[in-house]
Amino acid sequence: MVLRNDNWETSSGIPLRPVYTDTDVPDSSRHGLLGQPGEAPFVRGAYPEMYRSKLWRIFQLSGFGDPNDMNQRLKFLLDAGETGIIVKHDRMTDDHLYDVDHPEIMERREDVGLTGTVTVGLRDYEKILEGIPVESVYCKPGGGVAQSAPYTQSCYWSVAEKRGIPLKSLSGTGQSDFFLTYLGCPMREQIPPEAALRFNLDLIDWCTERMPKWVPVSIAGYNGADSGLNAYQELGSVFANAIEYIDGALARGNHPVEDFVHGIGGVNFRTSMDIFEDIAKLRAARKIWSDLLQSRYGISDEKKLRLRIHVVTAGSYMTYQEPFNNIVRGTVMALAAALGGTQSLGVSGYDEALSIPSDHAHLMSIRIQQILQEETNLAAVADPLGGSYLIENLTDELERRSLEFLEEIENRGGFIASIADGWLMRKAEEGNSQLAGDIESGRRRVVGVNVHPIDDSILEVEAFEGRSGQQSWENAMERLTELRHTRSETGTKQSLDNLCRTLDSNDNLIPAVMKAVQADASIGEIGHSFRQVLGNWTPPANF
Amino acid sequence: MPRVLIAKTSLDGHWRGVNVVARALRDAGFEVILGGEMRASDIAVVAEQEDIDLIGLNVGGRVEVAERIIATLSDAGLGDIPVFAGGTLPSSGIERLAQLSVQCFPPGSSLKEIVSAAVELTQVDPLDKK
Repeated sequence: MVLRNDNWETSSGIPLRPVYTDTDVPDSSRHGLLGQPGEAPFVRGAYPEMYRSKLWRIFQLSGFGDPNDMNQRLKFLLDAGETGIIVKHDRMTDDHLYDVDHPEIMERREDVGLTGTVTVGLRDYEKILEGIPVESVYCKPGGGVAQSAPYTQSCYWSVAEKRGIPLKSLSGTGQSDFFLTYLGCPMREQIPPEAALRFNLDLIDWCTERMPKWVPVSIAGYNGADSGLNAYQELGSVFANAIEYIDGALARGNHPVEDFVHGIGGVNFRTSMDIFEDIAKLRAARKIWSDLLQSRYGISDEKKLRLRIHVVTAGSYMTYQEPFNNIVRGTVMALAAALGGTQSLGVSGYDEALSIPSDHAHLMSIRIQQILQEETNLAAVADPLGGSYLIENLTDELERRSLEFLEEIENRGGFIASIADGWLMRKAEEGNSQLAGDIESGRRRVVGVNVHPIDDSILEVEAFEGRSGQQSWENAMERLTELRHTRSETGTKQSLDNLCRTLDSNDNLIPAVMKAVQADASIGEIGHSFRQVLGNWTPPANF
Repeated sequence: MPRVLIAKTSLDGHWRGVNVVARALRDAGFEVILGGEMRASDIAVVAEQEDIDLIGLNVGGRVEVAERIIATLSDAGLGDIPVFAGGTLPSSGIERLAQLSVQCFPPGSSLKEIVSAAVELTQVDPLDKK
């Protein structure tokens, strides 16, 4: 979706000239100040040989229906060549931490399992992971919103412990993202942002002490971008968020910054159809992080200054009309991610606007990446666009604008204050309205939607139904009933009392959540404890 | 001016389309009440108390949930309030809702068409009623 008419500009409004020349290259790039790939400030890549030494990880969102459905889909994706797994949970039960017999869920029982897999407790996680080698696989076990992250990760870690695999050997990532929880998808009954910060700092402490190969939180610029923030707003706010984590962890005084910063420096961004801006965005991101850690926090060990990036291609750019066109869009967005030097990548399904991915759509997302990795020379050369007049110019411009936006956020009290009072949400809303208006007016052209539309059933795709009717809900009700009847009530109750006491104290939350899931507390009981002690967030009015 | 209640049927958390449509309707002169994630019975209560002229449903989940809402409205004697819908609706869902006289606007629909439908369904030009 490129802007047409007389104004040629990037998606974030940076004017584009008809051609770029040597005079457009910033001094930093001209004088070799951007270093080599693998060297600070990492503009040219996080690692010296980039994809020659390690291809980007193929890392797709996946999940629907029952734990068994999830398990089968994971195995299908791994067989197809996925190199990391993501357990996506049912949003209704997981994001809200509701049991399936909660009145809000009963009202919408047909929706259960539609957006991810339903878990009633730890036993379901064992089913999800049956036959999956948790000792060697890289995994993101759900936990998009802050309040569900301790639950989903505790389940994953507990499965490993039960199999006798030490936590310190596990590799993977949590998410626990503020953008999703409080900006992109604000939902009912979420813990307040201050409590979410505490949860994330607990996760950071826990992983710093026990799990060197685990990224406890992953700031998701994607969720800000796909909610309407432009490229430099995405960068500025991601680093404003990271600053809150670093300052929070430093204020606790449990660990020096060098010990925990690795766990904060794994973030995600979005690529869209504006490929040059997106490539420049990933390059600028690495530089901003490296400079920030050096100048503000005095970190000198170069290895600690490295930002690792996961990219998700823009789901909102996937059209409902003519879904197969989205395979081309996914390819272009994936190309931008690789040219920008991403460490891992998820490509949205071509049926994104219709449903969660069918097995075919999922396979295509993997094939797109494999074709780029195997059949092109993308993997041969690090930072292949380094030195391009245009890319160097945009990288510099985005860095400048992002730092300005970051400063604006800091001047108004920081990231969490800007989430809490709705300021950042309004920025996203402005971006959304503008985009919708531009598509409506034809200023942004979308093939098959507002240009070159044809009406032909040859282009239609069946929406993936998953388990139809109330099946997932009925099956989950059965598992919940069984859980309640076959566990030790006393043990469960003690673990929940302990959880409430911990929530009410300054102690780290994670051991208490681990104990609760291991004592067969249900997802809803854990959520109930959170709500009881911490209360709920009231979203700012944004309309 | 005509009053539109906009509600989400599912707890999926996606607000992008809802907010864009709500703003377009407001800009066209409708009074928009953003109800958020509402249960069927709450939609019926608000529709009656707020004297709602049109209900817009964002269907982020399955069509059965939207059908239950329409049945609840009908049971509450509010079956004469027109309903239209948007969201990630597959064509089978669009057909089922059409049988209940619910016009659907899947992703990519033009805002102008959505506003025109709202005007037609409330049978009065909102700008005249101001």
